[in-house]
Amino acid sequence: MNINTLLVFPVVLPILGGALMPLLHLPDKKRNLYLEILVLLTSAITLYCVAFHDPAEGFVLFHLTGNLDFALRLDGMGSVFTCIVALLWPLATLYAFEYMRHEERTTSFFAFYTCTYGVTLGIAMSKNLLTMYLFYELLTLISVYLVMHPMTKKAIRASLSYLYYSIGGAAFAFISLVFIIRYGMGNTFTYGGVLGSAGVGGNSNLTLLIYLMAFWGFGVKAAVFPFQGWLPKASVAPTPVTALLHAVAVVKAGAFAVMRLTYYCFGPDVIRGTWAHYAVMAIAMITIIYGSTIAVKETHFKRRLAYSTVSNLSYILLGATMMSPLGLLAGLSHMVIHAVMKIGAFFGAGAVLHQTGKEYIDELDGIGYRMPVVFVTFTIFSLSLTGIPLFGGFISKWNIAAAAMDCGRDFPFAYAAVAVLLYSALMTGIYTMTIVVRAWFPGKGEAVSGGKEIRDPSWHMKLPLILFAVVIIVLGVWSVPLMRVLGDIAGGLY
Amino acid sequence: MSGNIELLAAVLFPFLAAFVSYLIGRANKQLRDRFVQGSVIAEMLLILWCVLSYFQNGMLELTVQDFCMQGLYFKMDGFRVLYGTIAALMWMMTGIFSREYFAHYRNRNRYYLFYLVTLGATIGVFLSGDLYTTFIFFEIMSLTSFVWVVHDEKEAAMKAGNIYLAIAIIGGMVLLMGLFLLYNATGTLRMDEIHEAVTAVMDTKRIQIYAAGACMLFGFGAKAGMFPVHIWLPMAHPVAPAPASALLSGVLTKSGVFGILIVSAEIFRHDPSWGMLVLFLGVVTMFGGALIALFSVDLKRTLACSSMSQIGFILVGTGMMELLGEENALAVRGTILHMVNHSMIKLVLFMAAGVVYMNLHALNLNEIRGFGKRKPLLKGMFLMGALSIGGVPGWSGYVSKTLLHESIVEYAHELAHHGEPTLWIHVIEWVFLFTGGMTLAYMTKLFAAVFLEENLTRQKEFDAKKKYMNRESVFAIGVPTILLVILGFTPYLTMNRLADLAQGFLYGVSPEHAVHYFSLENLKGAVISLIIGSVVYFGFIRTCLMAKNANGQKEYIEVVPNVDLWEQQLEHLSLKGLLTTAVASIAALIDHMKPMLLVVDLSIAVTGFFSMVLDHFVDSVVLFFRSTTHRSKTELHLDLIGSRVSRTLGRFLDSIVKVLNVTVLRNNPRTKSFVVTFAEREDILKKTNRMISASLSFGLLLTVLGLAFTMIYLLTSIL
Repeated sequence: MNINTLLVFPVVLPILGGALMPLLHLPDKKRNLYLEILVLLTSAITLYCVAFHDPAEGFVLFHLTGNLDFALRLDGMGSVFTCIVALLWPLATLYAFEYMRHEERTTSFFAFYTCTYGVTLGIAMSKNLLTMYLFYELLTLISVYLVMHPMTKKAIRASLSYLYYSIGGAAFAFISLVFIIRYGMGNTFTYGGVLGSAGVGGNSNLTLLIYLMAFWGFGVKAAVFPFQGWLPKASVAPTPVTALLHAVAVVKAGAFAVMRLTYYCFGPDVIRGTWAHYAVMAIAMITIIYGSTIAVKETHFKRRLAYSTVSNLSYILLGATMMSPLGLLAGLSHMVIHAVMKIGAFFGAGAVLHQTGKEYIDELDGIGYRMPVVFVTFTIFSLSLTGIPLFGGFISKWNIAAAAMDCGRDFPFAYAAVAVLLYSALMTGIYTMTIVVRAWFPGKGEAVSGGKEIRDPSWHMKLPLILFAVVIIVLGVWSVPLMRVLGDIAGGLY
Repeated sequence: MSGNIELLAAVLFPFLAAFVSYLIGRANKQLRDRFVQGSVIAEMLLILWCVLSYFQNGMLELTVQDFCMQGLYFKMDGFRVLYGTIAALMWMMTGIFSREYFAHYRNRNRYYLFYLVTLGATIGVFLSGDLYTTFIFFEIMSLTSFVWVVHDEKEAAMKAGNIYLAIAIIGGMVLLMGLFLLYNATGTLRMDEIHEAVTAVMDTKRIQIYAAGACMLFGFGAKAGMFPVHIWLPMAHPVAPAPASALLSGVLTKSGVFGILIVSAEIFRHDPSWGMLVLFLGVVTMFGGALIALFSVDLKRTLACSSMSQIGFILVGTGMMELLGEENALAVRGTILHMVNHSMIKLVLFMAAGVVYMNLHALNLNEIRGFGKRKPLLKGMFLMGALSIGGVPGWSGYVSKTLLHESIVEYAHELAHHGEPTLWIHVIEWVFLFTGGMTLAYMTKLFAAVFLEENLTRQKEFDAKKKYMNRESVFAIGVPTILLVILGFTPYLTMNRLADLAQGFLYGVSPEHAVHYFSLENLKGAVISLIIGSVVYFGFIRTCLMAKNANGQKEYIEVVPNVDLWEQQLEHLSLKGLLTTAVASIAALIDHMKPMLLVVDLSIAVTGFFSMVLDHFVDSVVLFFRSTTHRSKTELHLDLIGSRVSRTLGRFLDSIVKVLNVTVLRNNPRTKSFVVTFAEREDILKKTNRMISASLSFGLLLTVLGLAFTMIYLLTSIL
């Protein structure tokens, strides 16, 4: 069998498997086993594809009309996102089993959860803009249920708002799709863009306007200002969803799409130095400032992390908007590292919620001594988010700042990015350290209420946390191989 | 990884020991305490091994490629030999002292873990050969030492800890920004390459280099306790446990100074404008610290303020080193020696304060007064430290202060020689001498209070305490005291050699003719300071800062200047009161200057406001449309379909109304559909029926009716 034919499986397997599951009526234990095997199998095939695929060809599923293909392919950048998703999903599923144990409607939850896996991989493995757009829309529709799952009024309202934002964004994105297909040299992702220097029919302002609209359109999922409102609201969803989808899969899909759009459709040369360049960079900066400031003011644990995600996603976009290989490298590295540290932080918050029912930060005094594993790892993720050396976050922030300094030579506006990073790092320090300090230094005689029965969760939850913490430290002290690979990808080598 | 493996061992060992000690501590506390003492001694031996190999083979180097992306680079040459040894020595002594001091503390395991990690980080800072390495270890050190500050977890400790952490993070980030600017301009962070690289681009990128320098000065200065980012220092040093205070004051501030020295020596070598900036900040720090110290009535707080002031002396030296240009040997040597002296002195003094605290659990001068009156050992050790820091001839502080003073005098000569105005430098010289006097005054205050005067109530109890410290503690405080005395008594033999060893780091050369420390000229400065000191002590501290209490006994008072106090003083209009209040106000101003925190608060407030405004921007747009153009129609609710009858009837009436609307009702047409009207009516009817049929009274009614019918039937059948 041709290796490229294999590409279909990672997409189809979870979608079919997830859809079939409710029909099987398995008891919980068997269902979990079935799911974990399904997810692991998918991940294995995916990683096999990443290792041995032939990026030149890809695999065409079917032709729509004319030259519009529905096709899959794994190139360098797709591989990065694919790997993140494929490595995190099995662990998140493991965590979800434990977390969802006492919830209702778990079967339908897991069905949708698994379907989402296939769709996310589809986005990562799309060969062209059209395919990505279709998967992007599908992701919205499938993941709406997951937000809605608690079925409280708040959850339903949040899911509706998610739906409005996403569909609205997709409409903007669609415009760019039409123009790219009409004016580009095919719509297959090509490093450096398909539009050429002529832009859209030689009209540069129109090109830039369409780019800006597409940036916002795809950026909705990456919670870019002013379309960030859905993300903090969506934190009512169960933690496996907030952690995996709203810190990694869905939101990174947005950032990934923007990067694809910028570097593989429009091409950075078209945008560099124009007013659209100012605009997108300013949008990213505003989002960073906004997200990290509100996070400081927020007292709800998960919502604070959600605002932190808002600002961190824009770090990725800020890197990408440097319009240079260095910028793309910075964006990709933050995409990888933020994925690990934020999913870990969310899992920590989820573990607290699951074990104690505590949702607000001021209830956490001294909880570190009751749940040591959760809070040691949370401390590591916090330090990493703040950008302290020895932890992964420092590496990617260094990359972003280095890219900004580099970009600043020709485009002085980029220097502001360094100041924004500085401000945001300070805010990040405040909003993460207040939690850490509370957890470990309660002050005399005001330790956490609830006493002895509060303790670390079972290994289902601890294993992912420990693994993520180890990854963050390893990436922090020895990131060169990863950076070399990402650098090659950002340079267009794969 | 290539180079001398000893260096790696010296940096890495404490990190490993930290985790081992933590694990041991979970099983056996006694063993853990011994293990920690063993580790700090082992670290000292490791450093000595490095030092030995330095003297045999020359400079040690170590490169660790790819670590944290940019790689690490360590080296060990003159200054680093000196400060690596001092750091290890201080950790060793405090480590030995800690066992007794912490005997009754909670959370010791946590403390020791971070105690050893910070050791590794500090050694890393002092051995770093490029600024990237410095930064990495500097950040680790900043964060891990936070745990020391909040160790007590009392309210004051938590408050100080928060400010410490805030300044540490801000300082770290600003420092990082400075490194970025520098790296961007020069393309290197290696200390031995920076100077060349900077000189090459100085003309084209002057602003960027100066911005980088300012950021780095801010970042390093925040750790050093430099004005205006000193605010955390007088709060955090006193609340930490005493061994930790000794390290915070003695070594951690020096790591900040180390950074400032690198920036001054490598980036702005012999740059007078940079020198002026550092000199100015140094003078304010020096004077301000001493001023706050005068007013403090807390033993450790006074020592902490004194640290700030001494850092000011060192910064003055750094500034002079820049101003003097090539002939800066005096300033370079004074700076280095004063750093060494201050580290050793604060080690002794803070541990002595620790002994007091360990016994009395109090630090207020009125409470601990007289504790050491009949404890000659403690008294002697404290006295050595006090004399040394006071700059009394014969003790080590005198030597370094003399060198610093001489460098100012030399610069004044140079200015006069070139015919430039010299007034300002004389002012600085006098501030220098005056601060020296204040140092003496506040040290006398401490010494007199704790070791000479009688306690007002508990003197007998104090004197009965014979076993106030164990042998380990005596050793830990005694060794540095002896070292101090040796340094002070043999300046030509010891201190000159230390200066020779380390001066290459700051590009100083040995002076052409040796400095005679005890010449008349040099003694004069010290005598002036001594006179000023006694005037300040007897004329100000004993008169203005002490007052009679209810029993007519003299007590130390804490002057907290506020509006009430001012009003009170203005009413009574006594010169003494006004003077005290005025000086106290200046001290309080310096002490409570919180520009940094104000900036943070302000930026959160401003950006927070805008963020809040913009928070639901899109939501409100959606809401707007939902409530205007896209409002859902209220008339056609899905549950108001009505029955077939009502619909048919409604449609029939509607068509009649349609006809009527164009004819009879033209002026006042009816718009509402009858279908809806009927459906609504029907719905109301249904709902009402449902309600009635569900109610108890309806049930009762039916029962009654049934009974009535039965009765009527019975009646009729009878009839």
